[in-house]
Amino acid sequence: MSFRIDILGVGLAAPGLPDWHHFERVLRGAELDPTAKPAPSSLLSPRERRRAPAAVKLTFPAAEQACTMAGIEPGEPLAIFSSGMGDLDITDYMCRTLADTPDLLSPTRFHNSVHNAASGYWSIGAGATGEVTALSAWRDSAALGLLEGLTRTLTGREPVLVVIYDDHAIGPMQDLWPGDHAFCAALLMARPGRPNAIAQLEMSTCREASRHPDLPAALQARLDDNPAARLLPVLALIAGGIDGEVVLAPERGPALKIGRSR
Amino acid sequence: MSLSCAAGAGLTALRQALEARRTGLRPNDFEPCALTTWIGRVEGVERVELPADLAEFDCRNNRLAELGLQADDFIDRIEALKRRIAPERIACVIGTSTAGIGCTEAAYRELGESQHFDTRFLLPRVHTPHTSSAYVARRLGLQGPVMTISTACSSSAKVFAAAARLIEAGLADAAVVGGVDSLCQSVLYGFHSLELVSERPCRPFDRDRNGLSLGEAAGFAILESDPEQSLGRLAGWGESSDAHHMASPHPEGRGAVAAMRQALGAAGIDPSGIGYINCHGTATAMNDQVEAGAIHRVFGSPPPAASTKGWTGHTLGAAGIVESVFSLLALSDCFLPAGLNLDEPEDGWADFILTESRHEKVAHVLSNSFGFGGSNCSLIFARA
Repeated sequence: MSFRIDILGVGLAAPGLPDWHHFERVLRGAELDPTAKPAPSSLLSPRERRRAPAAVKLTFPAAEQACTMAGIEPGEPLAIFSSGMGDLDITDYMCRTLADTPDLLSPTRFHNSVHNAASGYWSIGAGATGEVTALSAWRDSAALGLLEGLTRTLTGREPVLVVIYDDHAIGPMQDLWPGDHAFCAALLMARPGRPNAIAQLEMSTCREASRHPDLPAALQARLDDNPAARLLPVLALIAGGIDGEVVLAPERGPALKIGRSR
Repeated sequence: MSLSCAAGAGLTALRQALEARRTGLRPNDFEPCALTTWIGRVEGVERVELPADLAEFDCRNNRLAELGLQADDFIDRIEALKRRIAPERIACVIGTSTAGIGCTEAAYRELGESQHFDTRFLLPRVHTPHTSSAYVARRLGLQGPVMTISTACSSSAKVFAAAARLIEAGLADAAVVGGVDSLCQSVLYGFHSLELVSERPCRPFDRDRNGLSLGEAAGFAILESDPEQSLGRLAGWGESSDAHHMASPHPEGRGAVAAMRQALGAAGIDPSGIGYINCHGTATAMNDQVEAGAIHRVFGSPPPAASTKGWTGHTLGAAGIVESVFSLLALSDCFLPAGLNLDEPEDGWADFILTESRHEKVAHVLSNSFGFGGSNCSLIFARA
């Protein structure tokens, strides 16, 4: 079974890949400048931005970029946030404080420690009162986030905002979750027929190993660094920077085969 | 389906606990937590052994998952299911909020000067929210989509909706859904920091309620569109966001109202078609009042209702599956439990909360689950 899905907007947030424009340039051979940082999201006031948890700072710019590109109010789409490890900065804080001075645990940082903190703040910041969810599939969170996006797009209200992210670990968790660079990408998916689609993807399930056409070395390095960046070949397809098929295979369960239909 | 929580391991024990009104809560003995409170600890989790080939998953959450899978012949039922439906077509969608964080906490307690985890804690598959869904899929030999939903206390209610959509989209023919959450320092001290933990057993909807009791549970169900036999039908669901605050509900219960109305619409029934509500009912001062207000807005004159958290404690990421199982039992057993520890219901707004259990056959039960991040999910189950 294969499905056609319109992509209405895309967004990126990673050091050196701060937005779609930078990504397209690197995809076409420009050097990746690791000092280029995403512009902050307009959905947070400067004060909120200072206090925001790391996962919010990472995801909001990409999610907002995707909505802006599509010309859609950020609160309109239902939203799926998918991350293997969530907010590793807060995990480190929580576990350190619980080990040393549990009675001094910050109530704010506790309620920000839930895996759906980024999606919860998104619903508040964007005014999204519809369905907002938070997934994890460890190193396969890109594939499962996309699969859930496909499922939602096929079965209910759309468009669907899919936000895939993972931060780099700090402290002892670095031994378990290697990676030097945070990564977040957002896609706005819809059923075919929208006049403003920037690309149309053909998606099907298969039982094949992950593969993708060659990417520039700087992008391949990010893909190898951070599991959320396994979405990069899909973004490259959308940008028209590569031709052919991308297979995103989780360690268990069906893989997604993705090509460009137009 | 299967359920293991503080009130009992397996449905037989739970039916007895419900009928006898026997709580599973006990004074806090969960080390190293020093708080004065009551907890819904599941007996014997520490002694559970995972199969040898799954040792890389070893943590309290997955031991609890294993205990849950061993109850109610669940593993045998999955083997029977796999004879009818190819494992590649069976999805695994598990909700959790704590996942293996208890093990991460332990690793940090023993960090030492090197600032590295001791080798026995170097278990990458444990320190991720995905740990229990991955464990369950491996343990049961499921080869369909494997995903974790982690939206705090609505997690394992949302698994029903997510799995139903996978089936509707043609990406699976059946799903194992469930929830696993285990006691840990994060939730005990965390809710304590928010001043939401009671020093006594929780008292949902009681005038003297003053906070929640934390608990743990593992529960599972099989979702199929064309089953050989059925314990009940998922008739509808509603999911919404408060878009208001990370830890407090919208004061008028905006998201809760939307979730319940959406579920009723999806089930195609009027509010009068609901015979019983298993409330979220955490027993904090505000949550119970906001939920009761939302129920009044949706139902006008609400049906009988109660919270079962007096038996189990608030099992957070597992609350959805715990209360879905209790809802399905209410339908099949024609038994509507009254709340525990409900001595004096709030008379102004909680008059519909049962103070005495009823033997009554009802057609539909609504189960509410509301969580941090303003994440709401209401499920409606119908008689098989």
